[in-house]
Amino acid sequence: MNDLAAATAAPLTGAATPPKIKVRDVHFYYNGYHALKGIDMDIPEKQVTAIIGPSGCGKSTLLRIFNRIYAIYPKLEAKGSIELDGENILDKDYSMNRLRTKVGMVFQKPVPFPMTIHENVAYGIRHHEKLSRADLEIRVEQALRSAALWDEVKDKLKQSALGLSGGQQQRLCIARGIALRPEVLLLDEPTSALDPIATGRIEQLVEELKHEYTIVIVTHNMQQAARCSDRTAFMYLGELIEFDNTEKIFTKPGKKQTEDYITGRFG
Amino acid sequence: MSVIYVRRHITNIVALALSGVATLIGLIFLVWILWITAENGFSAISGSLFTKITAYADQGGLSNAIAGSLIMDLMALLICAPIGVLAGTYLAEYASSTKLGASIRFLNDILLSAPSIVLGLFVYVIIVLPMSNLTNGAISFSGFAGSVALALIGLPVIVRTTDEMLQLVPGTLREAALSLGIPQWKLTMQVLMRAAFSGILTGILLALARLAGETAPLLFTAFGNNFMTLHPLDKMASMPVTIYQYTNDPNPALHAIAWAGALLITLFVLALSLLTRIMFSRKKVSYE
Amino acid sequence: MSAINAEPLRRDIEHRARADARHDLIFRLLLRLCALLVLATLLGAALSTLWGGRDVLFKDGFHFLFSSDWNPVEDQYGALAPIVGTLVTSLIALVLAVPVSFGIALFLTEIAPSWMRGPVATAIELLAGIPSIIYGMWGLFVFVPFMASIEPWMNDTLGNIPLIGQLFQGPPLGLGLLTAGVVLAVMILPFISSVMREVFQTVPARLKESSYALGSTKWEVVWDIVLPYTRSAVIGGIFLGLGRALGETMAVTFVLGNSYNITSSLLMPGTSISSSIANEFNEAVGLHRSALIALGFLLFVVTFIVLLIARLMLRQLARREGR
Repeated sequence: MNDLAAATAAPLTGAATPPKIKVRDVHFYYNGYHALKGIDMDIPEKQVTAIIGPSGCGKSTLLRIFNRIYAIYPKLEAKGSIELDGENILDKDYSMNRLRTKVGMVFQKPVPFPMTIHENVAYGIRHHEKLSRADLEIRVEQALRSAALWDEVKDKLKQSALGLSGGQQQRLCIARGIALRPEVLLLDEPTSALDPIATGRIEQLVEELKHEYTIVIVTHNMQQAARCSDRTAFMYLGELIEFDNTEKIFTKPGKKQTEDYITGRFG
Repeated sequence: MSVIYVRRHITNIVALALSGVATLIGLIFLVWILWITAENGFSAISGSLFTKITAYADQGGLSNAIAGSLIMDLMALLICAPIGVLAGTYLAEYASSTKLGASIRFLNDILLSAPSIVLGLFVYVIIVLPMSNLTNGAISFSGFAGSVALALIGLPVIVRTTDEMLQLVPGTLREAALSLGIPQWKLTMQVLMRAAFSGILTGILLALARLAGETAPLLFTAFGNNFMTLHPLDKMASMPVTIYQYTNDPNPALHAIAWAGALLITLFVLALSLLTRIMFSRKKVSYE
Repeated sequence: MSAINAEPLRRDIEHRARADARHDLIFRLLLRLCALLVLATLLGAALSTLWGGRDVLFKDGFHFLFSSDWNPVEDQYGALAPIVGTLVTSLIALVLAVPVSFGIALFLTEIAPSWMRGPVATAIELLAGIPSIIYGMWGLFVFVPFMASIEPWMNDTLGNIPLIGQLFQGPPLGLGLLTAGVVLAVMILPFISSVMREVFQTVPARLKESSYALGSTKWEVVWDIVLPYTRSAVIGGIFLGLGRALGETMAVTFVLGNSYNITSSLLMPGTSISSSIANEFNEAVGLHRSALIALGFLLFVVTFIVLLIARLMLRQLARREGR
């Protein structure tokens, strides 16, 4: 507990780049259950931040506050402040539309819309921007290229996205997210439903995307966090236990709990 | 001990045998009714059935009744499909956990088995009577009124299937669309509806199967007409009502025509319900 | 993104956000309006029939319910005969359909080999798909002569049993309350049996297995474990069938005989609420028509209550299932 008090005073940081998201004393409740207990962390810009921890530790919950997707369900409540570029996104006045164009999200299971591959990417753009047909085509191609999917689908853009493989579907979801040109990309266990080869391609993609986007990835796979993140946060029972450079977390963790988890001596 | 044992086993065997008999009874009635309908119907089907109107009585056919039924069934669907789909969407997407939603869902289930003749009376009182009063009797019973009555039969079927089918769409699809900043109405109309499309369509076909066989709601709304009319404000003939009138008639030649009509309706309705059954079992929701 | 075009972009976003919010609100209201139409239909059906029947209800009040004198010539309307006819035929239908439905559900969940279950269940449910007018025709042209042929036998056997004997005495017309009850029974079979079958399938396997492990026979498992476990839903299914039977029109209109005499014999013709309305409505004027609409109101209220009970009972099991 003393550690936590110290953490509140000086947010766990140590970032090389300036923080994109500043999380301050965030609490989360659902149906009265206290799921997050005072989280403070600074998420650096244009780096990959991984959040790890055992299931039920609150890592996905925290991620789902960053774009307020939790707000579509009743009886969920977040307190505290999360500053994105200096503005508190938990503020009632912060427009949901603005938030969701700045923060994209990719989910555990690939969820392509029941439309063509092209439509899947164009759908979000079309809602937010009035583009000419040619511009739209360019944007769709850019997004698909960034998601390393273009070469595989360029000849079947008019086919249903439901016909793609799981890994392709997940990259399509990433393309769909980055088509809106967000600044932050949230990945909620993006490879947990994929085979090792598809997982490898997504991880490679994350590596490439971090030059343009601030990426937060939640994963239950420690090797994945070690492989593709710059910084790693370890959470346990709704608390942020440790947040540091990935290398340090996995080689010289500062806390006993982190070490136990990393070495598999948990529980 | 062994006496009890034997008695228990005899009871068991008798009970199980009786349940087999019960199933057989159900199947016998099904075959009996379908057989009689087919036997009498096929022998009475002829070309003039589809070309001549009922005004020629036993020298005529059912063409105006077939046309009237098609028109009214279609108009009924045009009324109840959009309303039913939107109402079902409300229950699934906006009111799945509210009191209002729960009570509407509950009462919709009651409407599902409410007596159809009362729905006919309802439409008589709210449409036929006022129309007649407004026009000094020039317009009273009408195909339109009949369609509204049939729509009330189909409505709860569509509400229920839409509600159920949308609830089967995975929540992650909603989250994915909302996280792109897509507003709820677009998400509902363009993503969820598409995902649940085949299920919702099944519900609409199910409603058609339900309302196409209904007679009672048409008796005092569309009434009947011995001549061909395509005008929705005219009295309009329909298959079920014509069958009802012909069955009540002492003339056996009319009975034969009634059987032919009965066969057509039965084939139509059973084919529809078998089709929806196949659609249901193949895939609940096109999205997986 | 440079600061120069960031600001107008943000204004655009907020403008669109307001538009989206407005459209969402309109959409939500439209949807709610449609959902409320379901309530409006039920309420409207009750109120409009009450309004249409006001003349006779104001004139006769409760006398309308308890008088058996239905005489359009003298403009006298008592609803007792149709009410009795509706109740008696529905009761006959239940007495016949409940055990048979239970047998079907038992057969399909516990006895039939699995390849047989799907097709047989579909066949039984097809009974529910046959339009009721077909039941009426089959009833009139096929089943009435059949009943007429076995009624003399009923007179001689069942008719001689003390107490219930007089229920089965009368001329072999074929038409009548019993015939209508049987036709209704066939119609509601699929509804009751499919509810029973569904709820029997919800009984946890471990419950049944632990009973089998004690050496119970199949019948004992069904009677002592499955039935008590699903009791409320089974009653719900029965009430659902009753609701159907009470309101059914076309299947019974041809075979009832349209008589306003209340007799002690089930073999005699009678009438029911729905068939009185179907038979007389289009020739009725004035108070006669009002009386028929009032009958409709009565039918609606009774079936509503029966179906309400049915749904509440069915919901109890669903709750326990945690659905």
